[in-house]
Amino acid sequence: MKGNIIKYAQDNIDTDVIIPGQYLKVHDYAELATHAMEGLDPDFHSKVKEGDFILSGRNFGCGSSREHAPIALSHSGIKAVLALSFARIFYRNAVDGAFLLPIEIDEDAYGGISEGDEIDIDISTNEIKNITKNQTYKMKPFSEIIGKIISAGGLFKYKPDKD
Amino acid sequence: MGKTLFEKIWESHIVVEKQNGPSLIYIDRHLIHEVTSPQAFDGLRMNKRKVRRPDLTIATMDHNVPTNNRSLPILDQTSAVQIQTLEKNCKDFGIKLFDINSPNQGIVHVIGPQLGITLPGTTIVCGDSHTSTHGAFGTLAFGIGTSEVEHVLTSQTLWLEKPKPFEIRVDGKRKNPHAVTAKDIVLSIIKNIGTSGGAGTVIEYCGQGITDLSMEQRMTICNMSIEAGARAGLITPDEKTFDYLRNREYTPKNYESLVDNWKEQLKTDNDAKFEKQFTLNIDDIAPQVSWGTNPGMTCDVTESIPSPEEFSKGDANQKKGAEKALDYMDLKPGIPITDIKIDRVFIGSCTNARLEDLIEASKVVKGQKISTNVRAMVVPGSQMVKKQAEDIGLDKIFINANFEWREAGCSMCLGMNPDILSPGERCASTSNRNFEGRQGTGGRTHLVSPVMAAAAAIEGHFVDVREMDLS
Repeated sequence: MKGNIIKYAQDNIDTDVIIPGQYLKVHDYAELATHAMEGLDPDFHSKVKEGDFILSGRNFGCGSSREHAPIALSHSGIKAVLALSFARIFYRNAVDGAFLLPIEIDEDAYGGISEGDEIDIDISTNEIKNITKNQTYKMKPFSEIIGKIISAGGLFKYKPDKD
Repeated sequence: MGKTLFEKIWESHIVVEKQNGPSLIYIDRHLIHEVTSPQAFDGLRMNKRKVRRPDLTIATMDHNVPTNNRSLPILDQTSAVQIQTLEKNCKDFGIKLFDINSPNQGIVHVIGPQLGITLPGTTIVCGDSHTSTHGAFGTLAFGIGTSEVEHVLTSQTLWLEKPKPFEIRVDGKRKNPHAVTAKDIVLSIIKNIGTSGGAGTVIEYCGQGITDLSMEQRMTICNMSIEAGARAGLITPDEKTFDYLRNREYTPKNYESLVDNWKEQLKTDNDAKFEKQFTLNIDDIAPQVSWGTNPGMTCDVTESIPSPEEFSKGDANQKKGAEKALDYMDLKPGIPITDIKIDRVFIGSCTNARLEDLIEASKVVKGQKISTNVRAMVVPGSQMVKKQAEDIGLDKIFINANFEWREAGCSMCLGMNPDILSPGERCASTSNRNFEGRQGTGGRTHLVSPVMAAAAAIEGHFVDVREMDLS
């Protein structure tokens, strides 16, 4: 999966800046997307392109349980968020609704990847290629259940194995 | 090897367990509200599914309800639609709803315990991150997203990976428990372990500093577990817990026999192992005030704003975060906390809007007037809290001091209803999050206890409430 990076070099990007509370009343996902990241980066909506990735630091998505947060990013075109770590509810919401891939990265990837870099993520080999810089990094593999929910295409498509 | 309280509750709720994998966990109570449930009900309808246990599902409206005159129509059309949608969904699927006119309406985490719906040893979920509040009763309770809400509605279960047990011991005794509150204890913990210090864990709070607390104070502690990144917070139930839940509207009929079982089963074994441990001594802690844009950016009321270098201890991202926070908050390093002037005061939220919170705050306010530069409001956590407070005359104390006395709801904690800060306004708030824009675009939030908020309203700036007579 290839895309370009929008980088926020900071920790603790919370759900209130990803989608401010006043928009939790909005049912239309396309409209919700126009307010994505509004609390942090008012230019986000004009610069994001279909297939882009977000890169950020620790504890991405902390705060509220609002599924509107991954929905707003997903409907803006974001296919994956690469971060040093994620807050748990955001992580599960992203996967459960098959909105976007939450990819845990290490300091090498965090420091090595810059704004605008073209990246290729391969979740079968857990490798991230930086096409722009010709570098390769490791991503943290998904746990078994998360991997299966992702492969199934969301929580409601996931059928547990018989064992 | 012995087991922790968390592990005992977890194991007693396993429906299916996968080797080294996730478990399907049974959910005893599902609380829903107007904001995170509509898409879940849409999903049920689309797939022609029913609610599996409407009798274990309880609904209220709290996030976007107006807190002014309830006899008037709701002006915000999108809020009105969300409220009507919850009414229709509850009617269609046979779910008990405490609607906007119900005497039981209130913030979902305030009404659960008040009605005896929250019980020790059970599992509770809700599409709200502050579901951790219910852990004060020895309940395994956590927030979920809307897809998981739909999963629980249709199956009464969730696929979950087992979190790790984390023990936080609170030792010592506060010298002035009216001035140094549960809010100050939990803010001190988060200041120390950080906003992701509890990631991947369920926190068990123990020690004299916790057992000394009332049930309402324990709820304040567990409520903010999520701000430390934890899945949930738990406190071993004791006589205070059992007394609190006795004779509530929904307390089970066989309550006393349940209590006997809980006393025997709901405790951590002496030889249980925790993955992580942290100890805080509270003998000398001060009232806390947050200065930044996450709850970890907090200091004593007697301190000054730290420099980003001091705060970050060499971590580049933390330093950048602190610089950005100071810029947003329009503060400079070295400013004493007590010099910070405020424009607004909010006493409310699932963290600090229960009866005891209002009683404590009223002691500061009684016979005083708020500063002429301040606009202040009290938003009780539930209509029941509001009525109980009015029965003992608290409303008059606040109104006479020029506070606004409102109807119950989440209100200015998250800025979904008309109760918001204007850009640049600075607020002393008893809520749980000081994120950028949380209380309104451009609004600046300082997290404090109810007594600290009340004192700031009177003086127009932060003061050390230990210097006041609060007995």
